[in-house]
Amino acid sequence: MNASPASAAVVVRRTIAASAEVLFDAWLDPIAVAAWMRPGEILRTVATIDARVGGRYEIIMSSESHDYPTTGIYLEIERPRRLVFTWESAAKGPGIGETLVTVEFLAKGKATEIVVTHERLPDSARESHRAGWTSGLGKFEEYACRR
Amino acid sequence: MGERQSAALDGVFNALCDPTRRAILARVARGDARVTDIASAFPISLNSISKHVRMLERAGLLRRSVNGRDHVLSLNAAPLATASKWIDTYERFWDTRLAALEQYVLNKTESRK
Repeated sequence: MNASPASAAVVVRRTIAASAEVLFDAWLDPIAVAAWMRPGEILRTVATIDARVGGRYEIIMSSESHDYPTTGIYLEIERPRRLVFTWESAAKGPGIGETLVTVEFLAKGKATEIVVTHERLPDSARESHRAGWTSGLGKFEEYACRR
Repeated sequence: MGERQSAALDGVFNALCDPTRRAILARVARGDARVTDIASAFPISLNSISKHVRMLERAGLLRRSVNGRDHVLSLNAAPLATASKWIDTYERFWDTRLAALEQYVLNKTESRK
């Protein structure tokens, strides 16, 4: 876990009232993934999943006018505790670097806490005119620097 | 959108993943400062401060102008905004996806009852 100290990462958590097995399986079942990987303006998602270590997945999220494919390879599949895969999104144009997603499933009584860590950063944003950069600094303290 | 830019963004994150460097940036954000002023505000040697400052310069977060013997540092926030946008985008993405996953799984369990 501490192989790369202070690598940059986004960490998101959510506790869900379901077993780790049920939640874990929802990440590798193409029908399930198609249902919950449908953010914002996405009308349709098609997932192709080769659920074994070294296997590739492809998730194509389609809006009315665009397809946004994301692909990657499964590096660790430890049902129902841990899932690690690479994540390469073509959403913002070609040449974006490969990133790494680690999903952990932690038992919390009858519920399960899911921790998603997304790291090894790509070049995602072309340019941003975001001001308020000091609030950005706080963000690095809170999320971006994995210990 | 090439590898070089991707590497540049990694440099920004590496530079920011240190409390001293974040504190230096916060200091310079309040106004341009000389390296010696910054050094005196931190309980570490001028030499270590210089190393941190050089790393922030390499990441493009600080600019240095030399005025006689004074080296004055000013903030360049653009790379931070790019990195910050990356965080925002994926944080929002995973946050909403986990909410959707919850809904999906709970609906499924509900319909089985």
